[in-house]
Amino acid sequence: MDDVITLPHALSAAARGDHGYRFLGARGVESRTSYAGMYDAARRVAGGLAELGLHRGDPVAIIVSDSEGFLRTLYGASIAGVIPASLYPPASTGELAPYLESTARVLRACGARAVITSAALAPHIDTLREACPELAVVVPFDALDGPPWEGDDVSAPDDIAFVQFTSGSTSTPKGVVITQRNLAANIAAFSSPAGLHGTADDVACSWLPLYHDMGLVGMALGSMYVGAEAIVMTPEAFVKRPIEWLRAISKYKATVSFAPNFAYDLAVRRVKDADLADLDLSSWRVAGCGAEPIHPPTLAAFAEKFRPAGFRSTSFVPSYGLAEIVLAATLAPRGRELRVERLVADDVTTRRVATHANGTRAETVSVVGCGTPLPGHGVHILDEHGGTLPERHIGEIVLTGPSVSPGYYNDVDMTARTIRDGRLFTGDLGYLSSGELFVCGRVKDLIIVNGRKYHPQDLEWGVAELAGIRRGRVVAFGTTSEAGPDRTVVVAEPSGTVPPAELTDAIRRRIGDVCGLVVDDVVLVPSGTVARTTSGKVRRAATKMLYERSVNVD
Amino acid sequence: MAASSSTDIEHGVIEVLKNVSRRPIEPTRDSDLAADLGFDSLQILEVVAELEDRFDISIPLNDVPSVRTVGQVVAQVTALVNAATA
Repeated sequence: MDDVITLPHALSAAARGDHGYRFLGARGVESRTSYAGMYDAARRVAGGLAELGLHRGDPVAIIVSDSEGFLRTLYGASIAGVIPASLYPPASTGELAPYLESTARVLRACGARAVITSAALAPHIDTLREACPELAVVVPFDALDGPPWEGDDVSAPDDIAFVQFTSGSTSTPKGVVITQRNLAANIAAFSSPAGLHGTADDVACSWLPLYHDMGLVGMALGSMYVGAEAIVMTPEAFVKRPIEWLRAISKYKATVSFAPNFAYDLAVRRVKDADLADLDLSSWRVAGCGAEPIHPPTLAAFAEKFRPAGFRSTSFVPSYGLAEIVLAATLAPRGRELRVERLVADDVTTRRVATHANGTRAETVSVVGCGTPLPGHGVHILDEHGGTLPERHIGEIVLTGPSVSPGYYNDVDMTARTIRDGRLFTGDLGYLSSGELFVCGRVKDLIIVNGRKYHPQDLEWGVAELAGIRRGRVVAFGTTSEAGPDRTVVVAEPSGTVPPAELTDAIRRRIGDVCGLVVDDVVLVPSGTVARTTSGKVRRAATKMLYERSVNVD
Repeated sequence: MAASSSTDIEHGVIEVLKNVSRRPIEPTRDSDLAADLGFDSLQILEVVAELEDRFDISIPLNDVPSVRTVGQVVAQVTALVNAATA
């Protein structure tokens, strides 16, 4: 007998305890749903799905920003055995038309038979039926209220628990398949004493989006698996007023809260000193940090600012992982100060070796230790030929273990490029030092802004058809700096038919509309400057090098 | 707050925009928040929060996507301030 605890099993077990989710809404409105209440509601959702004629194995997209509604729908889908795919809802500050366009691409990619969404969004999603031939049902989440699902749930260990669409890639959506076995393995590993040591006595607090792995698995599902209380805020509430995150931790004596680097930075910059007096952060034992590169100065500034409120710098737990391994591959040990290595920058970029910058006058980079592999998992550093590199040599981070996804949904090519023989090629660069992983860059050309990953080709394609640009002569990339987030740069060769100021403006607007990303710099260059090769990667690298040189000269 | 004229509101809005932006900007009524002034979605929410505090209003997030220029922000804030004091 397989001892995998599926999502429905875990929820039915959690329903025997007193804990549950507390949802913090706008203007101080709160509601609470115990795990028992959630289990009842989810069984009615499962009954509703069956009434609609949806069966085990049918792909069903969930686009719900209401946290309670999202979780109820996800659990219900899992009980009914359909394949839930969570898609991000439209941003409150964005335009709807480009959002619907990219949503249609994702719905086609997963062959969704149904979309469960909000009453407000349903009529808009309904207009996508023509573009998505498999789409048979569009239904608001609160209309899914059937006779409670009776009897056993149908999820088997190797069934798909959900499909996680990774952020950013709008032109070629990638849905990561997470099986019940993957999910249970990762949660068990990061909750174990070697990881967070999560128990039913913990209180988690999160504003992270539930359509993202850290918010969904790390906080909402992880808490439920161990039977802990979870405080759930909305991402918008946090971004509007970062103090609300810390107030929630203080008020509910939260013990575990994860956030990307940018959130700690936002809290440092936006929380007013006058608001510190009422905060008590002494309960916060695990302040997790992951999902994007970690900048040591950011965490140091956070620790400094919130020390008077009882925050301990030893609470920081840097982590490394990605959706393709459910969530986490490594976690730094609890109760330790950040382990930061200062390296000679030139050795990192050219020799691919992590040399300590002890007392050198050379330019340095600081890298944060993200801990050792979770129990049952492996971290390997490979060179470009697949050979294992010794310690302190920089290569691609390759992960193994029971959490590694079997692949991308309906995409064998992408799967073959990324996941081979149970080994996950992350595209990130790093090295091991005494068995601990240090992440220091990425092989893939990704631009990471505010925890969200953008693919340069999406930006390039977005502006390619604009009038005034020479065909194929546009390159987008992110420049990384140690001090802060990536800067987004677009370099284009104008054809001369549109005035430069107008063209620059049009490029900015188009990328804002298509990707929701603000471009930091648009550079128009003479014909022949944008390197022409068949590989976008080489082209980007060459142009980026030219750009960085010219910026440094200024 | 005492009756705010629309020029008071415009000054207030521009001050908030300058404070939130981390680059030197000179907003005019026609400036587009994203394309001209470089505000990203996080900063726009920050602007919303600052405006709410400053003018003691509550800005519905549903209305945010339709607001693109400084002039539209001023109009929106003016309408909310007037509704609150009416």
